[in-house]
Amino acid sequence: MMQKEAYLQESTRRWKDSIAHYLNFDIWKYERTLKKLNREGLFLFAFFLVLALFPSLFAPYSPTERFISYESPSIAHLLGTNDIGNDILSELVYGTRISMMVGFASACISTLIGLMIGLCSGYFRGTLDELLMGFTDVVLTIPKIPLIIILGAFLHPSIWTLILVLGLLSWESIARVVRSKTLQIREAGYVKSARCMGFSSFHIMRSEIFPNLTHVLLPKFMLATASAMISEASLSFLGLGDISMKSWGIMLSFAFSRGGFIRDMGWWYIPPGVCITLCVMSIALIGFGFEERDKERGNRGVDAE
Amino acid sequence: MRYEAGATFEGNTLKTVSGTMREVVRKTLRYATSFLLIISLNFALPRLMPGDPVKNLIGEDVYVSEAVMEELRIEMGLNRPLYEQFTAYIGDLLRFNLGYSYHLHSPVAEVLRERIGWTLLFVGVSIFLGAALGTLLGAYAGWKPETKANRLICYGFIALSCTPPYFLALICLDIFAFELGLFPFKGFYDVPTPGSVMYHMFLPVTVMALFSASRNFLIMRGSVIQEKGQLYALYARAKGLYDISILFRHVIKNASLPIITLLALDFGFLFSGALFTEIVFSLNGMGTLIYDAIIGKDYPVLQGSFLVIALAVLLANMLADLLYAIADPRVRRPT
Repeated sequence: MMQKEAYLQESTRRWKDSIAHYLNFDIWKYERTLKKLNREGLFLFAFFLVLALFPSLFAPYSPTERFISYESPSIAHLLGTNDIGNDILSELVYGTRISMMVGFASACISTLIGLMIGLCSGYFRGTLDELLMGFTDVVLTIPKIPLIIILGAFLHPSIWTLILVLGLLSWESIARVVRSKTLQIREAGYVKSARCMGFSSFHIMRSEIFPNLTHVLLPKFMLATASAMISEASLSFLGLGDISMKSWGIMLSFAFSRGGFIRDMGWWYIPPGVCITLCVMSIALIGFGFEERDKERGNRGVDAE
Repeated sequence: MRYEAGATFEGNTLKTVSGTMREVVRKTLRYATSFLLIISLNFALPRLMPGDPVKNLIGEDVYVSEAVMEELRIEMGLNRPLYEQFTAYIGDLLRFNLGYSYHLHSPVAEVLRERIGWTLLFVGVSIFLGAALGTLLGAYAGWKPETKANRLICYGFIALSCTPPYFLALICLDIFAFELGLFPFKGFYDVPTPGSVMYHMFLPVTVMALFSASRNFLIMRGSVIQEKGQLYALYARAKGLYDISILFRHVIKNASLPIITLLALDFGFLFSGALFTEIVFSLNGMGTLIYDAIIGKDYPVLQGSFLVIALAVLLANMLADLLYAIADPRVRRPT
């Protein structure tokens, strides 16, 4: 038994070595990086990503195909059918793409805004810094979800307004982190020398400071995605989501408001909720993994002078 | 020793006062701006959003004839210039006049006054319990992060913080109220006695407290891990203190500072979470009010709720700032 295991390990190692040799690609180094991230999180995330990219491979039916409504789970419909007779498993698989898209798109918007505001206020300092950070503090105190509820009620939301509103309202913490890191980096030797050489501020921010910010931005980006997905699910639950694009939150909301809960159809409302939790958790775990790695790296990239 | 410290302090008094004053002025300015922004958002939203402002101000599903709409337009002053409308609006606010809900046939301020007490009670109790639970467990988990139990708790709380609160509420309601029949699944009370209220609130408060604890837990854990590496903790250990008393007498004081900030920032988030929990448990608070208002497109109620919630969050933030200044002497002293 032991011999067999040892043999297996040896053969995998050899296999990896040969790949590394032929592809000129340091797979060992790559693996070490992976190990430091959360492996469970990555695995889950890859699973959901595949679901989101190729839903037609996994869904047994089209999400709009109609069968007998309110059916219990059976071989034909593994998770039963909902109130208008759609297969719940197919809906679930197709919902992955929408939920993840909302999360990532709004996180992109908020990261971009946070990056710009944080960079400008950290690099230029002075009055601009005071103004921008004051503005950030002000936005931070306004409760997001009630505001989004009002906006959603007025705007009859499509998925794009949802993304835009979520993105525009959640950049504050990113801006703060970017600012404090920029304040640290701008005193570094290489930034000072770039300034002495007379590069423009924009150039310095882009090619000297920004590359050193990526490892702070990545975890924040992941966490922003996670919280945007939860917000989307919550808003959809209130009936403020886009009904034409069924995300997990909308499935949950329908299960609650259209009889899934009263009829005790656990197979209807539990899977989307569990999917939201797992997907958000995988993204958050990856984010935490990045943060840990960042802590281990310490202040590399900033030479204290 | 103390006198010496006092003497150096004397010398810095001028600097201290001016530094504190500047900080106070800055904070006040920020809160004033937030306050203004919230009020103007509330003023501007129904007037800027697509659709007829009259409809936006009275609610969409209300049926009124053309003549009545014209009458309302004049009565609300929507034909007058914006700055006049704004002053009229501020005047209304000062008289606690938040508009009239045509769905509920009563002024919004009255409806809100009935509901907000319950919600505040619900949110307050759960935040308090959540903070206590999260801080204690988080401190312990941060003190010994390697043990299996603590790692398990950590994963559990991460999972909790990644669950939408209403889903947690749904699951709890299903298991404890429907399947096991241990708790009622509707309302704040059968008869308005404290016992009945507590019995009805137990499940929702547990859900919210767990949710709030999950966020505090993660922050506290990280904070303790950071603090226990400091020199004063090492000194306490060298002095021969027990592990537990190092944690509870020295480390926890410094480590819980971020929790105060978090509590304030999270207040709005938890408040929104409480709204969803209320909907699931059919508690007659702000949550169900907002839910019904969304379904009925009752805009005045939505606006009034937003105003009240935003102001509550603002107040919580101010309170946290005060608390922080009391708890952390470094804030009062210029560095």
